[in-house]
Amino acid sequence: MNASVVRQLRKIVGHETVLDRPEDLALYEYDAGVDKSRPGAVVFAHNTEQVSKVMRLAHENKIPVVPRGAGTGLSGGAIAAKDAIVLSTARMNRILEVDIPNQRAIVQPGVVNLEMSNAVVKYGYYYAPDPSSQKACTIGGNVAENSGGPHTLALGVTVNHVTGIEAVLPDGRIIELGGKTQDCCGLDLTGFFVGSEGTLGVATKITVRLTKLPEAVTTLLAIYNSIQDAANTVVAITQSGVTPAALEMLDGWLLRAVEAAVHAGYPLDSAAVLLIELEGMKEAVEEQAETVKAVCMAQKAREVRRAKDEAERQLLWLGRKTAFGAIGRISSSYYTQDGVIPRTKVPATLAEIERISQKYNLQIGNVFHAGDGNLHPLILFDGRDPQQREDSRSAAKEIMSFCLSLGGSITGEHGVGREKINLMPYMFSEDDLEIMVRVRNVFNPESLLNPQKVIPETRMCREITGPLPKAKVEPVDGVPV
Amino acid sequence: MTTLAAITSIESELASVVGEANVRNEQVEINGVVPAVSVSPGSTEEVVAILRLVSERELVVAPAGGFTRQQVGGVPERIDVLLRTERLNQILQYDPGDLTIRVCAGLRLGEMQRQLAEHQQWIPFDPPQAATASMGGLLATASFGPLKQGFGSLRDFCIGIQFVLAEGKTGKGGGNVVKNVAGYDMMKLMIGSYGSLAVITGANFKVFPKPRQTRTFVCPFHSLQEAINFRNQVIQSPLAPMCMELISPAAGEYLSDPPVVNDPDHYAPAQPTAKPLQEWQMVVRVSGSDNILARCRRELGSAVGRELEGAAEEQFWRWVSDFEHSVNQRHRNAMVVYTHVTIQDVTTAAQALEKAAPDYNFVPAMVGRVGTGNLVMGFVPLPVDPPSAMQYANCASEFRGLLPPGSSAMVVQCPKEAKAYFDVWGSTPTDLKLMREIKHALDAKNILNRGRFIV
Repeated sequence: MNASVVRQLRKIVGHETVLDRPEDLALYEYDAGVDKSRPGAVVFAHNTEQVSKVMRLAHENKIPVVPRGAGTGLSGGAIAAKDAIVLSTARMNRILEVDIPNQRAIVQPGVVNLEMSNAVVKYGYYYAPDPSSQKACTIGGNVAENSGGPHTLALGVTVNHVTGIEAVLPDGRIIELGGKTQDCCGLDLTGFFVGSEGTLGVATKITVRLTKLPEAVTTLLAIYNSIQDAANTVVAITQSGVTPAALEMLDGWLLRAVEAAVHAGYPLDSAAVLLIELEGMKEAVEEQAETVKAVCMAQKAREVRRAKDEAERQLLWLGRKTAFGAIGRISSSYYTQDGVIPRTKVPATLAEIERISQKYNLQIGNVFHAGDGNLHPLILFDGRDPQQREDSRSAAKEIMSFCLSLGGSITGEHGVGREKINLMPYMFSEDDLEIMVRVRNVFNPESLLNPQKVIPETRMCREITGPLPKAKVEPVDGVPV
Repeated sequence: MTTLAAITSIESELASVVGEANVRNEQVEINGVVPAVSVSPGSTEEVVAILRLVSERELVVAPAGGFTRQQVGGVPERIDVLLRTERLNQILQYDPGDLTIRVCAGLRLGEMQRQLAEHQQWIPFDPPQAATASMGGLLATASFGPLKQGFGSLRDFCIGIQFVLAEGKTGKGGGNVVKNVAGYDMMKLMIGSYGSLAVITGANFKVFPKPRQTRTFVCPFHSLQEAINFRNQVIQSPLAPMCMELISPAAGEYLSDPPVVNDPDHYAPAQPTAKPLQEWQMVVRVSGSDNILARCRRELGSAVGRELEGAAEEQFWRWVSDFEHSVNQRHRNAMVVYTHVTIQDVTTAAQALEKAAPDYNFVPAMVGRVGTGNLVMGFVPLPVDPPSAMQYANCASEFRGLLPPGSSAMVVQCPKEAKAYFDVWGSTPTDLKLMREIKHALDAKNILNRGRFIV
């Protein structure tokens, strides 16, 4: 990075909070996904004004800026090209206001997701979106990615819990979108901004909605001898009229890996488990627990356990939330997918993933948000073996093409980022994408902010829209596909 | 070519796109402006062809669905083509197992609910005039009803959208799965854009199992403050109500089927009351088994005045949804304001209404979603010394001035003569420059709903 630019950056944010030595930059060349690239400098802003000044400086010098929260993203959204500035919001980590009577909090973008909930639990409230990385990931990053989590099945994703945003545009202009009210006059630019993956502006203040803690919560663990029975249960619960707060599935291979790491109490000899959480008034929770248990048993569950107390409940969730970490113990490299399918297609999709696993001779573990059809197959491979690396990508592409053939999506909560940008033309036409670019250009006309993310260049679209490998759809156990 | 000549020549061209039977000269008016020609396309391709024709000639288009909210907004300078979505009324895909539905924009909400009900499902959405309003129109106007309390609004249910830009280019956002972050959220951009950015041609929604049993508890109070205190208690309680509505003393008059209109211009109660109205009602609706309903009843305690269930309950909530429509039918000169405030500012907003309305010879009447801060406020003209056009503007201005910063107060209904004196949309906390630039980026020639929306 140009020394004069670095000097000016230091003038804005302070000497210590600009990194430009290669050994420091190395820490910022990756996120939790698979891509890597070393930025030119990393800048830690402390307030909105500094963000604005950094943006203006970058804009004048035509230097790309990539905003970054905790770097826990899985789609390369925070990865910067070599001459770019990474603008970290990690130091902007203050909760500015907690307004319980209005069920709102105003936070800086660097506030860690779980800390938001911890700060208000004493009032009987929490912040509902709970990505698995919630101990580390930031609200700013959640806003960029429109993050979900296990508990978004009943309560919705980030966009359903954000009512106002202050952001800085690439030219340094500070804008306000929405506020504390649930709705306001004019276009819903708050809603549009959430999930824009840092390509419209850098959020510097976020007004979030706080949710009242439920009176009662219970967690069931349904244990299966066949993964198809577990998958069929997901369909049956959805149809029973009960909407669980969370409905998660782990397959047998994966739960054994998790048990080895954290001893969550998952049965080692099972083919799959469902983790089902119910919350609400205690009468409602009791009734729903009975209904769900009956549905599970009717779908050939071997056993349905119910967490006896809060400690046991937390343990069951610990297993789920640390699943990715557990895999890290086993395999040096894994590739996480984020496809979404209509819920009734869960059984067929799991059968297809098994076929793909055998075809490439790669272990694929399944841990996912079954209730809303959001799959997270984990493809394990040896990163040192070029053939395996290649095969893992091919397997991922086949899984994705199967999701798309069912009318699904390439990403449910991880974002498109850099990783899935080439898949966008399979979901959106050139015109669809061109319209999105037009709106982006209103905010970010030169694409200096987080360039080459989310929307592929039109030129590129034409080159990469070859046919996807044709997905083979086979009926499974009488489930229509 | 003059505009008139352009319209004459376009009629035959439109007929060649959609067939002669689907091009009409309708006697409908939008704030006094009669569209030159009305056209009903039967497919997205026809919408594309129509918009290409009109944008080449720079004619002004107003999209229309069930025609329930066309009077909202500024007085149009002109409307050359009324683009009706009534023939785009198909359900394209409905998978009860997946709890998703894909529909065309002209489908009426009532019809959609009927289809869903066959599978014991629904979309928990009860805006005004639900039977006739179209899904496209409801999206465009970001409509909402009392169920917003428990289930949120269209921005929470709409998982995909298809539209056509003024220039005739098709676009879309989202998809047909319940969780999806691929690409920009075009749904959010289109919902509440009042047809100013694109013509919505279809949308996808998530749907829900319909509650098997519900109950409504009506709780009367002597003052606004007592009612609000009760609301705060309900918020703190373990209850998760589907609806939580505040009904002001004079609003009860409009919660009934339209009676004989005594006086179309002014406040004229069906049954003149001897004493001044002062009863504020908090109405709480819950769902669940007998056991759960009994618990709710216990929690609400002695505040409950009466309970509603079954057909009477359904009808009551239909009346609440249709409050503004009822006000409008009874008094063609009434003003209705959508007021969005924080939960705690509901009191200030209700007091602002009670203050500003009488100052300008209006009777205040409101219903509102007081758990979320979305209020529907009626200003009904008094028969003695009724307000002049200018006074609507002054009244709205006083009312807005009494609201806390960050609130929105959109005048969704008032006599068109009054619209010359003030901005019906009012201020917004959201950056207006960006909104206008987005409008320009998607409709550079300002073809769609020119002069009617904030952009």
